Amino acid sequence: MKLLLNLVRKDFKRNRVITTALAVFLILSALLMAGGLRVTGTMISSLNGLNELAVPPEYLQMHKGTYDREAFESFVETHDYIKDSQIVKMLNISNANIIYQGETLEKYLMDNGFVVQNERFDFLLNMDNEIAFLQEGEIGVPVYYVEELGIQVGDVITLHQGDYRKELIVSTIIRDASMNAALASSKRLLISQTDIDEISLHMGEWEYCFEFLLENGTATAVLEKDYMDAGMPSNGATVTGSLLRMLNNLSHGLVAFIIIAISILLIMIAVLCLSYIIRATMAEENYTIGEMKAIGFPRKAIAKLYQMKYIMLVLVAGVIGYLAAIPFGDFFSSSVIMYCGYGTDEWMKWVFPFIGVILLSVIVMLRCHKIIGRNLNSTVVGLMRGEEKIEKEGHYSLPSSGLKHPNLTIAFGELKCKWKEYLVIFLVFVFSSFLILLPMNMKSTVENPSFMTYMGVGESDIRIDIQYSEKLAEQKDAAQSYLENDAEIDKYAIYQNGYVQLQNADGEWEYIRVENGDASVFPLEYLQGRAPNDRKEMALSYLSASELRKEVGDSLTVIYQGEELLFTLCGIYQDITYGGKTAKAAIDFAEIDVEVYIIYLNVRDGVRIEEKTDELRSILTDSKITPISEFVSQTLGGIMDNMSLVEGTAIMISLLLIMLITVMILQLITAREHSAIAIKKAIGFSNRDIRIQFGIRILMIQFVAIFAGTVLANFLGEVIFGWMLSSMGVSKITMLVEPITAYLLSPAVQLLVVLITVIVGTKVVRNYHIRNQIIE
Amino acid sequence: MIKVEQISKSFKDTQILYNISFEIKNGDFVAVMGPSGSGKSTLLYSISGMDSISDGRVLFKGINISEMQENELSRFRLIKMGFVFQNPQMLKNLSIFDNIILPGLVAKKKSADDIRKRALELMKQMEIEGIGERDIREVSGGQLQRASICRAMINNPEILFLDEPTGSLNSAATDQVMAILENLNRDGMTIMTVTHDPRVAAKARKVLYIRDGQIAACKEFSVGVDRERELDKWLKGFHSRA
Repeated sequence: MKLLLNLVRKDFKRNRVITTALAVFLILSALLMAGGLRVTGTMISSLNGLNELAVPPEYLQMHKGTYDREAFESFVETHDYIKDSQIVKMLNISNANIIYQGETLEKYLMDNGFVVQNERFDFLLNMDNEIAFLQEGEIGVPVYYVEELGIQVGDVITLHQGDYRKELIVSTIIRDASMNAALASSKRLLISQTDIDEISLHMGEWEYCFEFLLENGTATAVLEKDYMDAGMPSNGATVTGSLLRMLNNLSHGLVAFIIIAISILLIMIAVLCLSYIIRATMAEENYTIGEMKAIGFPRKAIAKLYQMKYIMLVLVAGVIGYLAAIPFGDFFSSSVIMYCGYGTDEWMKWVFPFIGVILLSVIVMLRCHKIIGRNLNSTVVGLMRGEEKIEKEGHYSLPSSGLKHPNLTIAFGELKCKWKEYLVIFLVFVFSSFLILLPMNMKSTVENPSFMTYMGVGESDIRIDIQYSEKLAEQKDAAQSYLENDAEIDKYAIYQNGYVQLQNADGEWEYIRVENGDASVFPLEYLQGRAPNDRKEMALSYLSASELRKEVGDSLTVIYQGEELLFTLCGIYQDITYGGKTAKAAIDFAEIDVEVYIIYLNVRDGVRIEEKTDELRSILTDSKITPISEFVSQTLGGIMDNMSLVEGTAIMISLLLIMLITVMILQLITAREHSAIAIKKAIGFSNRDIRIQFGIRILMIQFVAIFAGTVLANFLGEVIFGWMLSSMGVSKITMLVEPITAYLLSPAVQLLVVLITVIVGTKVVRNYHIRNQIIE
Repeated sequence: MIKVEQISKSFKDTQILYNISFEIKNGDFVAVMGPSGSGKSTLLYSISGMDSISDGRVLFKGINISEMQENELSRFRLIKMGFVFQNPQMLKNLSIFDNIILPGLVAKKKSADDIRKRALELMKQMEIEGIGERDIREVSGGQLQRASICRAMINNPEILFLDEPTGSLNSAATDQVMAILENLNRDGMTIMTVTHDPRVAAKARKVLYIRDGQIAACKEFSVGVDRERELDKWLKGFHSRA
């Protein structure tokens, strides 16, 4: 064992740069693998913990307007599978009436409902994951606003309506298992019973949440059907436990998923590098191996000798990776911990990464064993003569017209003959370029105004929501008359939104949100078919159509106000709003059934959208007015915040990777080509010439790799992004690339990093003295 | 042509050459002999600028090449000097012909056509005209060594340095190479070669004997003498003195 360790130490001294680079590769792989799994472990523990303590409902039906309490109670009593139920009263207050630090929350898309603490389940927890109780004059604010607005305990929130003002002091930050996710469009603020009673006298609109817990094994669909059949209050959205989980997982799980995906790719690259390095270094050891075989060393012992180094390397990398994954994973878990707490299964964040690191070590060891075994197959004579090494690499010809650019010609020629040696570095460059561009392109896609088309409406500048009022129509008319007379408005369209029941594939009735308005003003690109043309046609969002298993041309039966209406499905569009399940049809909703009026508008050229938004906010004070870019970024807020984190990490990892691989490959290649370097020096090439030739080879490969990575990021990126958003209602996405960043800046930075690395890495050429090389 | 003044060379703590001085004139053929490890190859590489020296200077037609920058020295070697090594060293991704013309194309002293013509002439002269398109592993050691000489001569250098040019050749190939060197020198080429082989050294006009990093003896042959016999006698006498 001591002999083995000595040999490993000597080998490390001899191949210091390559061994270090390989170690960093393995550490990085282990770090990402362990880090990703630590985030996963923390996330599962946190979400489980929050759900256990807060007990969110498994089925939640929102409702506006009156309802029959006795009928509800009797419904609950007659259905055994209902474990528990409650009616939560929520006072919706327009963002324009909520003031924080002198500014209203108008800019924010979230709907804000004021509630008191529930008694039975669906508890709002404080930051210690304990049920929060407030005194009069206090308010509990959701974590979301801590991140978005920087609200802290001790701050003051003011509610105002006309002459009425109510100041509430933030006494706790709230974790809300139901509406925690940034993707959930409503947030609940906790206040005392006395305060809510007082405030409701002056402002807001009551909304009710009918919440249920079900006995184990009961599907929410069963309750949903019975609930609808019984004609229970249902003027509003339905939210199931699975949807809540999906929103939470999407918000928090995405980062873990991306880190693990990157780590798997990185492991593949590390294994490729390992194979290359083992082959390259073993080739230099052929003579020694031959000698050992000749004097009768058993094959197993020789294999052990060479495996030892890699086993030690991967074990050290595993330990370092595991330890480094603790702060790394915690950094990426900070969001889920903030939103959900540490949870009840903290062991997961220790055990999951441990399993990951063990798995990585086993993969690397098996791979080493295989490659080394293959290298030992040659005969003694073959090894000692180096017969296995002689491989024809092929020729390149010097141009008959002479060498205008000798270094360029030689570099290209040699690249043509030795391209196989550069396969690994090419793959790493492709991977790095892909890794940098993918999150970058995703971000630019979401930030592009055209992304609006994935939200179920054509491109527009500003969105106005008119809701939470008993005088919706009046407000809508007021807005319309203003817009009609505003010369700075280019065009606008008003859409009514309401709910109807739609028969699904199993013949059951489901509620669906339908938008009614002129689809031609802001035309939308349909996945299939087209927008409704007449009153007999209906278009469905992709997710609705998939769930209902409907194709264009199929008939749809809808019930509105007790009357059955028959439609033909005329088109399928992409929509990520309202859980991705919406429809478009010319259904004239009765005033009372209108959930919200949404107005989309375009301003004339030269009019600044931000200024127009501010102007409209000052005039249409009861409406929520949002520039579309804000609407998109806030809707996907959580995802995009995480994406920004991932983007930064991806750039750092990629640049580190390309630096490492360049150093490593240069070391291996210059060592392999020592005699060619010596010959070139002898016939009159300077060190500078030889370094330039290496530089051209590497940069040429990188150039092609960046191109390949860019194409991959565009095409494969669309598939990946589409897949990520598919659960939200998008099936086919077109990447909207920011050309200057993606096609100019990103390649330039990558090329620059490699250029600097080549300049430093090829300094070794100076050490290859002609005399030593040739005498060898 | 070359004036070597008091050059010394040490590597780490080991002194390899001690205060060596001598001169190579235009058209000279100088052979350097000596036991293994005496420093003869080091002397050759130090004089040709392929290896640095620790002390002293080497003047090439009055220019101190010991003080040249690496880039300048590379260009100088490319144009003014030719090199032949014990084991024929060629780039394996080029054919033999391309290996020969490469220094010519890089030097750009002549047009590509003229360089090709010159290569063909040299190959004919060395009797290897048929192997131009072959891979370096497809020819014999003697053919490869002659190709190396062609490459060394492609830019019409002012001096040809050879390090044991026949060390890895059989006797037939050795004879061919020796004849070539003799012819080249007869045509006016200045040659400096390191060799163990008295037959090769006998082709030279001047023989330097190096021992322990110093010139132990120097022998110049008069015109018309039997150099092989003379050298043999000199070496024997020299060995017996030692």
